[in-house]
Amino acid sequence: MVDVAHGKPAEFAGPAPSPASRLAPYALPIFLVLMIAVAGIISPAFLSANNISNMLLQAAPLGIVVIGQAFVIILRGLDLSVSSVMATSAVIATSFSGQNADVLPILLIAIGIGVATGVANGLLVTKRSVSPFLATLATMIVLQGIRFAYTQGAPSGNVPPLFRTLGSATWNGIPYNIMLLVVLAAVFWVLLAKSRFGREVYITGGNPTTARLLGINADRVTIVGYMISGGLAAIAGLVLSGYVGIVDNWVGRGFELDSIVAAVMGGISLAGGRGGIIGGLFGAAVLIVVFNAVLLFGLPVQFQIIIKGIVIVAAAAFYVRRSR
Amino acid sequence: MSATVSIGSAGFSRSLKKNQGIVVVIALLVLLLVFGGFVSDRFRTTNNVMNILEQSTGLALVSLGQTLTILTGGIDLSVGSMISLLSTLTSGMIGGDASMVAPVIAGILLLGLAIGLVNGLLIIWLKVHPLIVTLGTGAVLQGLVLLYSLGPAGKVPRGFTYLAYGKVLGIPIGAVVVVVLFALVGAFLTYFRLGRYIYAVGDDDAGARLMGLPRAKVILVVYGFCGFCCALTAIYLTARFGVGQPYTGLNYTLASITPVVVGGTLLTGGKGGVLGTLLGVYLISLLNNVLNFMDVSTHYQLIAQGLIVIVAVSIYVEKRRRV
Amino acid sequence: MLKLTGISKGFTGVQALSSIDFDVRAGEIHALVGENGAGKSTTIKIIAGAYKPDSGQIEFDGRPVHWVRPADAKAAGIHVIYQEFVLFPHLTVAENIFLGHERRGAFGMIDHARTRKDAADLLHKLGVDIDPDKLVSELTVADQQMVEISKALVHKVKLLILDEPTAVISGREAELLFARLAALKAEGVAIVYVSHRLEEIFQIADRVTVFKDGQHVVTTDIGKVDRHRLISHMVGRDLRDVFPAKRQSGAPGKVVLKAENVSVEGRVRNAGIELRAGEITALAGMVGSGRTELAMGIFGGLPISSGSITIDGEQLAGITPATAIGKGIGFVTEDRKGQGLAMQLDVAANISAANLSEVTSGGLLDRSREHAIARQEIDNYRIACRGPGTPVALMSGGNQQKVIVARWARTSRKVLILDEPTRGVDVGAKTEIYRIMRGLADSGIAILMISSELPEVVGMADKVVVMREGAISGELSGPAITEEAIMSLATQHPVREAAA
Repeated sequence: MVDVAHGKPAEFAGPAPSPASRLAPYALPIFLVLMIAVAGIISPAFLSANNISNMLLQAAPLGIVVIGQAFVIILRGLDLSVSSVMATSAVIATSFSGQNADVLPILLIAIGIGVATGVANGLLVTKRSVSPFLATLATMIVLQGIRFAYTQGAPSGNVPPLFRTLGSATWNGIPYNIMLLVVLAAVFWVLLAKSRFGREVYITGGNPTTARLLGINADRVTIVGYMISGGLAAIAGLVLSGYVGIVDNWVGRGFELDSIVAAVMGGISLAGGRGGIIGGLFGAAVLIVVFNAVLLFGLPVQFQIIIKGIVIVAAAAFYVRRSR
Repeated sequence: MSATVSIGSAGFSRSLKKNQGIVVVIALLVLLLVFGGFVSDRFRTTNNVMNILEQSTGLALVSLGQTLTILTGGIDLSVGSMISLLSTLTSGMIGGDASMVAPVIAGILLLGLAIGLVNGLLIIWLKVHPLIVTLGTGAVLQGLVLLYSLGPAGKVPRGFTYLAYGKVLGIPIGAVVVVVLFALVGAFLTYFRLGRYIYAVGDDDAGARLMGLPRAKVILVVYGFCGFCCALTAIYLTARFGVGQPYTGLNYTLASITPVVVGGTLLTGGKGGVLGTLLGVYLISLLNNVLNFMDVSTHYQLIAQGLIVIVAVSIYVEKRRRV
Repeated sequence: MLKLTGISKGFTGVQALSSIDFDVRAGEIHALVGENGAGKSTTIKIIAGAYKPDSGQIEFDGRPVHWVRPADAKAAGIHVIYQEFVLFPHLTVAENIFLGHERRGAFGMIDHARTRKDAADLLHKLGVDIDPDKLVSELTVADQQMVEISKALVHKVKLLILDEPTAVISGREAELLFARLAALKAEGVAIVYVSHRLEEIFQIADRVTVFKDGQHVVTTDIGKVDRHRLISHMVGRDLRDVFPAKRQSGAPGKVVLKAENVSVEGRVRNAGIELRAGEITALAGMVGSGRTELAMGIFGGLPISSGSITIDGEQLAGITPATAIGKGIGFVTEDRKGQGLAMQLDVAANISAANLSEVTSGGLLDRSREHAIARQEIDNYRIACRGPGTPVALMSGGNQQKVIVARWARTSRKVLILDEPTRGVDVGAKTEIYRIMRGLADSGIAILMISSELPEVVGMADKVVVMREGAISGELSGPAITEEAIMSLATQHPVREAAA
């Protein structure tokens, strides 16, 4: 059990913990290291600088979405609208002249749309008591419709060079986008694990009624959580548009499920109140390594999907058993 | 609506009592019908009504299964992949050979049932929320269908399309099947113990356990039936499009939930029913039809659908006392 | 009929039952008593097959049994009426009554007409007037209890267990229940009756068993024991040792909080209450009489539809928990896990939860300061744990409760409300909590205690306000505070002198 409040293994008051349960919090990192080792042994190309750099490039957009998803899931919710937000911000990125001069307006508009979607999600969940699944599903569909109407079905235009650099270039083999992920992760880790707001997130996610009776504005905390998720998804969409270079209406498709899978694997419970950003990022890393290994081993790409499906159920079953 | 007639007036008044939302949906249906009449003359033709009925078949079948999973407080997010897999297998295995039609249909129905039962078993054994379990099995099935074929697979004999476009007494065969199935399931929920227990499990899972109700059986039946419904949907869609491909069912995962919640079934379970879902299906099909007549692009139809979900779930939210 | 031998059961951090023996005969009413946390509910759940004992034997009808599911015990002829109802809110009264025993006709189809008629007959036989077509969620708590009871009459059971059946019903309904139990007893049904109300036990029981702290204390014929002996068995010591001395007579403290004409929609009507500094005021009444709702209204946890709340002469408008906390009011909720603790967090985080400003600087939490405060409170209240970083989920009920009290004692400068403060707490922790409460009162805080345990109310309160059906039905103070007087105000039925 990871003490969610400050990311250290918790102390136990009951009987002395067995060695196995002491190791439990590190299960995912250990699993990740083992997986990398095994993959490296089977296929040395896996550990080549090029391949690692490649994996990091792919990991960044997912990692950014997972950070936001972490806030929402800890708050007992989940955000299906992230993929729609990503696609929309990617479409925005190409809808100007394609020059660096447009970066600032693109950034503002994209993040604005993401945050506004978050506000809508949060209001539906708190003020109208709509289940997060449905609320974010509905905003996802609405946003999709708006995007289609805006692009008339066929987005065109170019991504500004700055986004291309951010999304696909490296500095001494280290992708710029992973640097961005590290910065964002650090900032939001401090917010979630170290700040008063983060504590309010954990209390609210653990039990909204308790939070209210403690004088915490649970509705506001929840809405802000969805805003964070929306905003980060918008940023991830821009990064991804820089990675893929060409934008269609479906950039980011599948990220809503991948980010939830990563979070659940990382020990963030859908029941709320548990888990943290670091766990979620480890979950994302495992997912990316699995995807990469499948290709490297020459397995059909379809195995990525199949393994993902097995992994999410296995991970959830693992955490259900451990929490007893 | 003829579903209720065959269940009997007791069933209908019961449905009304338990789900006042139905009145809202009926009112919206009437409103749309009147509005549609103003929009276009062609709207009022029998032909158009039959069109709407025919087009709503796929959504209706999968939503029927989804209604039951949601009534137990669960959900099945694997329906889209199931439909894709089963539909691709249908045309792939028939391969244009008329003699294969009957055995393949039987096999597909059984396979759908079996996949649904696996979902149910995993939910019971792993004690993981159905949302996660079916998300996982959905991914596995999607991977499997893509391994089988990356594009449209096989073909069906010409007569096969009768299943989608054929008519009985002038009514599309799919629409008849839908109404009969909804009536049967409605009667099952109202008149059979297991149907009653579906509500009980959704209302209070822990209570159902304490009462010694057959919880595992309920879960198995519900997810098994949902798989069966997916098989029906898959067969219908294959007949309609003439071929199955690995993304046929993609949009049905989420689309199947919309009519259920629009029809007043609570996503938390224990309240609602199939009548509401059927009306929800018709409402959505009718809305798309009217929007088509208004020359509204499909983009805006999407927006309208999203808004309907928001409005519907906002209306049905139970007034909870906030402590 | 039923025989438990050497049954033990432990949960994380707590031994709920240690090797208890218990037996029930056919045709007897066997009362099971003990304080909260004595192990009664755990025993019931073991008999019902909802919990598996860690060790020990269960014999039913002369054969050893190993139930794994509630369904097994049910099939053997055991019916339990739990304190927390097992009713399905979206099903009707009739559907609830026959759930699992549906009335069926042709082709095994449910016969709705017969279900309705049989339900009406059953309710009529019980003597209550409830519409079988209503949804259970639309009933009052008392009517829900009667529906719960009628479920036991659907088919013949061998063993009937009732857990605090009279907590939410009064007078006439209780008499109807007792008459029904007497009839069942005459038919040879074995009955286990759990209750706090000793009068009832002397009225209907044949034998009585006392549990204390998860251990079996005594089993005896009801005729061989009197009220005082029974209480001392339950408490394990003289009551005078449990409760600290009451406030010495002298000038009453000034009025700190005054609620006038407060209504909470559907639950409280025009209730007024005054809390004085240094005084412990108890809010008594049946469960469902509106006690918690009135207190929640004062705290801002529930919206009040009318009335005013004044604190230190200043009238508060639009009160929310946040503003109430700001004004120095605290609320220890009844439902510790559901509304009190942040179960996923540790002791330190739970203590600081109502006053995060104290441990925040520049928006960031100061964990070392938070831990220092927690260490201080752990010493103060003698909270048994490994330190500030102990997850509260791993602690016993008594220590969890002390964490909550410690939290609110830090922020409550004026008023502290405690709703069932000793529920599910062992006797040792109970005594400590009583002392803490009295200590806080002595330091000048006004205390409002909601309690269903009459000995606790009588032992602790300087003043008692009694509620009935959402309204204040009377006030008692000083020597006028007796269990009988409180019961009579709570039910408005004079309580007959019991066998004692």
